[in-house]
Amino acid sequence: MRALLVIVALGFSLAIMVSIPAGIRANQDAAQSMTTSFNSTMTTMQEQINKTATLIECQTSGQGMFPGGSSGFPFGGSQQQQTYVEESVANGIRTISGVKDVVEFLTASSNETTSETISGPEGRSFTISRPVYTITGVTLNSSFIDDYSILPTNITAGRNLREGDSGVVLLSSNLTAYFGVVVGGKVEIYGKSFTVVGVYDASGQGSMGTRSAYMNITDAQTATGLTGNLTRLDVYAEDVSDVDSIAEAIGVAYTSLQVTTYKDRLSQLDNMQTMYTQTLTNAQATLSQTETVATQEIMIAVVATCLIVLFVMLYTVRERTKEIGTLKAIGFSNWNVMSQFMLEGMLLSLVAGVVGIAIGTVGAPLLSGILLPQISSAFGSRGNSQFTPGTSNAGNFGSFGVLGASTVTVTPSLQTMMIAIGAAVLLGALGSLYPAWRASRTRPAEAMRYE
Amino acid sequence: MSEVILKAEGLSKTYTLNKRKIPALSGVNLQVNKGEFVAIMGPSGSGKTTLLNVLGCLDKPTSGKMVLDQVDVAKLPDKQLCNIRRNKIGFIFQTFNLLPYLNAAENVELPMECTRKSKTERREKARKLLELVGLGGREEHRPQRLSAGEQQRVAIARALANDPAIILADEPTGNLDTKNKYEIVRLLANLNINRGTTIIMVTHDSQLASHTERMLLLQDGRITKEKQGLHLVRKKLMCPHCGSKIQPEDERCPNCRKRL
Repeated sequence: MRALLVIVALGFSLAIMVSIPAGIRANQDAAQSMTTSFNSTMTTMQEQINKTATLIECQTSGQGMFPGGSSGFPFGGSQQQQTYVEESVANGIRTISGVKDVVEFLTASSNETTSETISGPEGRSFTISRPVYTITGVTLNSSFIDDYSILPTNITAGRNLREGDSGVVLLSSNLTAYFGVVVGGKVEIYGKSFTVVGVYDASGQGSMGTRSAYMNITDAQTATGLTGNLTRLDVYAEDVSDVDSIAEAIGVAYTSLQVTTYKDRLSQLDNMQTMYTQTLTNAQATLSQTETVATQEIMIAVVATCLIVLFVMLYTVRERTKEIGTLKAIGFSNWNVMSQFMLEGMLLSLVAGVVGIAIGTVGAPLLSGILLPQISSAFGSRGNSQFTPGTSNAGNFGSFGVLGASTVTVTPSLQTMMIAIGAAVLLGALGSLYPAWRASRTRPAEAMRYE
Repeated sequence: MSEVILKAEGLSKTYTLNKRKIPALSGVNLQVNKGEFVAIMGPSGSGKTTLLNVLGCLDKPTSGKMVLDQVDVAKLPDKQLCNIRRNKIGFIFQTFNLLPYLNAAENVELPMECTRKSKTERREKARKLLELVGLGGREEHRPQRLSAGEQQRVAIARALANDPAIILADEPTGNLDTKNKYEIVRLLANLNINRGTTIIMVTHDSQLASHTERMLLLQDGRITKEKQGLHLVRKKLMCPHCGSKIQPEDERCPNCRKRL
């Protein structure tokens, strides 16, 4: 009965040793994955923002309703008179100091319209009418294509447009059905024939997928008869610091253009970075604090185990003085008696070790939760959360939301268990060293008198 | 002349209690021959147990000389004393001192634990000894399931485990009722006759002591009297009353019907 209590007490002590390292490891893993996740998010954001921070979007009226170029909804265009600017404007802008590149666009919508029923939020649905297709002519310059988000990226068939392409189009997937073509087929746009080189997935915008065709800007100008005209210019500054002055210069020189900058995104990034860094720092601080606490607790557990064994064995030795006397009288040497009691102490803690592992395995999350109170608050809510970087281009900044807050799982590893068993036996030996020595030194004649 | 197994000369033992010296033994001279059955008697406090402890190498004498089976043990270090205890001495205690968590056979095997005997040898020896003391078939019984007399028999079997040169019994019947008392003494006497085991028994019961061969009276740490006991006649297989031949097991002389 007493042995049982002792074993349970020792077991708890050892369970602490089992579950705390497990808790710590779980937290380290969580912190690690959090850091990795943060870092990749930050890198992605950095890349995106670097591309767009220097962007100055200049649009003619008629398109301005939905800024965001390629991902914008072009169906508003028909309500407003579309205006154009000459290509010379682009050349003019290029002369403004600090301008790196100017990408020219021509967007035009078909006169034919189609009615579509879309389901809006809260189950409401409404019917809209919009152009059957919208063509976007782009300056096909390979460095532009590489550096700036000027073309759709989610190609599902064929290939994307590239420099030197002429007489070819990249269709959005919902237009292939309308035209009844596949890659390699011919389509007629504005009365001119084009070869389909690729299809991109336009379902990103739900049922309202864009009905767009991308092509070389000169092709677009020729087809629409708007030679030398542009609807949009993406101006890229050499440096973020030039953005304001360039935007102002454009605004003054070309009043017909609506100028939009994305420079403020940089400060957004900064804010986010600061926030993330802060969170990471906090997490690290909490982790190291937790580790300190854990080290202390493990040390306490070690000392407690030793002391429990020590006192239990001292008590046992005292209680069994007569037995020790008998053993010595019938010829047990000091060493025999000592090893007997050492073995007993080690056996006791071995059994306790097994019990401890059982308690530890079952109670690890609970125990480490109690003993390391910061864990759940610091990691529990964000431990495995993932940061999804935005995938869209200039128009959409993406959602950097916190997804799936799962809790940290604490499971002692086999290695920890083996170490704990070893530690238990070692501590048992250590704790019973003095009692066993005391036992071995007992003078038999005195031990016999002891009642 | 038979061989001397134990010889003590001027054996003294002084205890120091609160800086006061208490003499327990003051110059005991004693000689025990091989195959003798000796009783040491004396009132309480006369130093009986102390003498037995010194003779049994559980305690070292303060001064004096002691030779046990040709080994001068008075000056031996503790390490070798435990070998002497293991191989040359068998102890029997008043309170039996069996280990409660071991069964009878395991208790008997205990002294052989520290010897080179194999496990099967030990087991076999324990079985034989238990049979010798009349406990055949009770090997698996724990002490708590044995009567006091049976427990003492197990203890006697344990004392014989390593074939000791001498058996020291400290009030072996002190915790037993009258019937068991005589059974134990008879068992010891039979061991003495049949196996030639040398036995020194400490008792304050003169009735029991008279069943031995030689009685020594210990008073104030000295042996003051020596007397022959009844056991001698059994050994000589001759009736002390009429001189006719008797058997060791006989209660009465088959010739004159007088109590032996």
